[in-house]
Amino acid sequence: MPRSCSHATEIGTLRAETVVTGLGTIGPCGHGREALAAALAAGKPVVVEVDRGAGLHREGGARLAALVKERDVSRWVPAAAARRMSFPSKLAVAAARMALAEAGIGATEAGGPRVGVYLSTTYGPGLFTEQLLRQILLEGAEAAQPYYFSECVANASAAQLAIAIGARGPNVTLTQRESGPLLAVARGAQAVREGRVDLALAGAVEEITPLLHALLDRFGALARKEGALAEMPRPFDRRRDGFLAGEGATLLVLEREDAARARGARALARVAWSGAAFDATATASDWGDGHAPLAAALRAGLDEVPDGAAGVGAVVSGASGARRGDRIEARVLRAAWGEARLPPVLVPKAVTGEYGGGILAPGLLALEGAQFGPTPGFGEPDPAAGVTPHRGGARPIPSRVLLTGLASGGAAAWLVLERAS
Amino acid sequence: MPGADPDPGASRAVAVTGLGAVSPLGWNLASLWEGLRSGRTAVGPFDRFHHSGHRTHIAAQVDLTAEPERPQNKTRMTVNDRFAVAAAREAVARSEIDLGGCRGRTGVYFGSSTGGMLESETYLEALLAAVARGRPPTSSLLASQQNNGPGDAVARDLGIGGPVQTISAACASGAMAIGDAIVAVRRGEVDVAIAGGSDSLCRLTYAGFNALRAVDERPCRPFRADRAGLSLGEGAAAVILEPLERALARGARPLALAAGEAATCDAHHMTSPHPEGLGAAEAIRGALAGARLDPSEIDFVNAHGTGTLLNDAAECAAFAAVFGDRAPDLPVTSTKSLVGHLLGSAGALEAVATILCLLHGEVHPMPDDGTSDPGIKLRLVLGRPLRLARARHALSTSLAFGGANAALVFTRHGDRDPAR
Repeated sequence: MPRSCSHATEIGTLRAETVVTGLGTIGPCGHGREALAAALAAGKPVVVEVDRGAGLHREGGARLAALVKERDVSRWVPAAAARRMSFPSKLAVAAARMALAEAGIGATEAGGPRVGVYLSTTYGPGLFTEQLLRQILLEGAEAAQPYYFSECVANASAAQLAIAIGARGPNVTLTQRESGPLLAVARGAQAVREGRVDLALAGAVEEITPLLHALLDRFGALARKEGALAEMPRPFDRRRDGFLAGEGATLLVLEREDAARARGARALARVAWSGAAFDATATASDWGDGHAPLAAALRAGLDEVPDGAAGVGAVVSGASGARRGDRIEARVLRAAWGEARLPPVLVPKAVTGEYGGGILAPGLLALEGAQFGPTPGFGEPDPAAGVTPHRGGARPIPSRVLLTGLASGGAAAWLVLERAS
Repeated sequence: MPGADPDPGASRAVAVTGLGAVSPLGWNLASLWEGLRSGRTAVGPFDRFHHSGHRTHIAAQVDLTAEPERPQNKTRMTVNDRFAVAAAREAVARSEIDLGGCRGRTGVYFGSSTGGMLESETYLEALLAAVARGRPPTSSLLASQQNNGPGDAVARDLGIGGPVQTISAACASGAMAIGDAIVAVRRGEVDVAIAGGSDSLCRLTYAGFNALRAVDERPCRPFRADRAGLSLGEGAAAVILEPLERALARGARPLALAAGEAATCDAHHMTSPHPEGLGAAEAIRGALAGARLDPSEIDFVNAHGTGTLLNDAAECAAFAAVFGDRAPDLPVTSTKSLVGHLLGSAGALEAVATILCLLHGEVHPMPDDGTSDPGIKLRLVLGRPLRLARARHALSTSLAFGGANAALVFTRHGDRDPAR
């Protein structure tokens, strides 16, 4: 059983619970939860054309990505500080300050040795890495700029975030692809619950560059135009052929429930359970077919939650349109629920794209009862998957939501958020 | 105390039951220990990539031709993945653990800061050249840049079914991964943890550290007056962690207890440590608190000790802050002086070296090179091993880019009540 944190029943007291008191999100839909909620309700991918001018893309390949269009974050990151940061670092700091503001935590209260940072990224600061590599490979090693190097490490954004707010607790960067954002929140929630920190900023950040987009497409990971079919992710659809690359940052403020209540903060959600497992049948760059052990792990975890799987009012799925990824996601869900009917399966990555921490903020919005439009791209069910995602329309406000993150390469993570009222 | 387990006495003692290492000294633990005892550095000429255009020309590289047991899917594995798998296989073998019955309760916690960057550089170079020639680029080369590669490769190779997690916190990655694994075992999240780190030499880090003017043209001389930077290295290390009672029940020989861990952040600067070692001192105090040890009980330290002016001074300040008047008498060594800086793997390899020192009752030396720095008031172990047959508790420190710090405390098994 892969439980990576325990439910409150094991701890036995309310004071040990971890709650979410702030959400900051910046992504292709815009800044803040309202812009994201509007996009999810509309049910359309938020895309732009990727710059293909460098000639790195292949003919007939993917052209679209869910990129951040509102790149000015000066409201959250002053120019004097931003000039020392890569784009993803700016996004992370901005999203964190947005989250802290919602949590009602002032700038002077956010730092100190009892504040930890738990951030997920798959590719790290992509543009700076590319620019440094171009200098080394094309201009010679001595052309390498130290600024690019110090800011291209995977933990640069977490470090910049710590510097920005003075967070001197653990500074953890998790690089576990699609499962990373959920692992980061789980890790932060555990640290809060166990008293290792008083406050955790947990979430994910990602940057998609033209080079990265071209590489993902060259490896056959991205959705593309096929005949009359438009280029778009088609989660759980028989015709799906890849995901939509996305970028952005989402940070959550995590703290103990008693501390939050004592200071009069509103708890947006309680972290009810998290779990993780691994599918060793996966290859390094794709998903496997070992759904049964993953389903058993998920099922065992859900049994720890009040009312078990039946208590989960919605699944906020990490499905993205990946061929094998969606298939194993569907099979895990179906096997975990067994004979019981699956709750509504919401697929936000069809709107926000993959990799931008795109599941965390929609997970909170789903718990709050936000409306999700029809799942983009879904028209023909895939018998090999067997899951029909949400088709739009009203749905009951859930008391708990399950967030899923099955990564290419084999890692899997799950998170249950519940209403904290 | 940031990062410290607030109540370790209420939780399980964690035993180290297996060790594995791939280092510039060889593809196994025996070659590592033999090389460390010798006090001769493995830093020297290297040929992992063409480096004539770089500012410096030495590193500590692993001899790829000496790879003992090539994984079946080697063609789809990066050099980094191969290091990780070899180290993990050795650790599992040495622990004599049968993973067959507990793969779902076994987790992998690995650190890496470069992932498949070496191969990605080759791919990108070919791609850019092809674009410049106006030809369709090939995608036949392997390009797996992500840092989760080594940990995933270990889990895949061993058929692991439990949690798999990769930490990328630059030079503290390996130590933080082991720290996470200790917590996971202590918490009961897993029954067995395979923890460590892996990194390979690549042009990005070699050029990057040179751009920072942080690479010594000679083999590094940590804590010495004429130190002029670090030396880069590569390799992997792994430890097997289990609850002590479980290890004893299956007849395993605990090699050490993983007694304490903590992680902090300077929140000070991207590349410079806090000048007073503030974050590092907090990490050490946290790890000691988790181990329920007084600073006076630490017998020796395996320091981060990179050989850069700023790191060594800050680390020395942290030792002075924690150990006070005793700091000048505390034996300190730096594994990096012998194998170079393994970046995301450094903390893991140094944890293994620390445990080996406890097991053998002696602290491995650093090369007796360079001159004494009057500002570094530490008892450096130079030239030959320091016999400490009664050493019971040792500290390993890691300080990283971005101000991330990690500290691990290991205790020789049998010398203390594990429930203390």
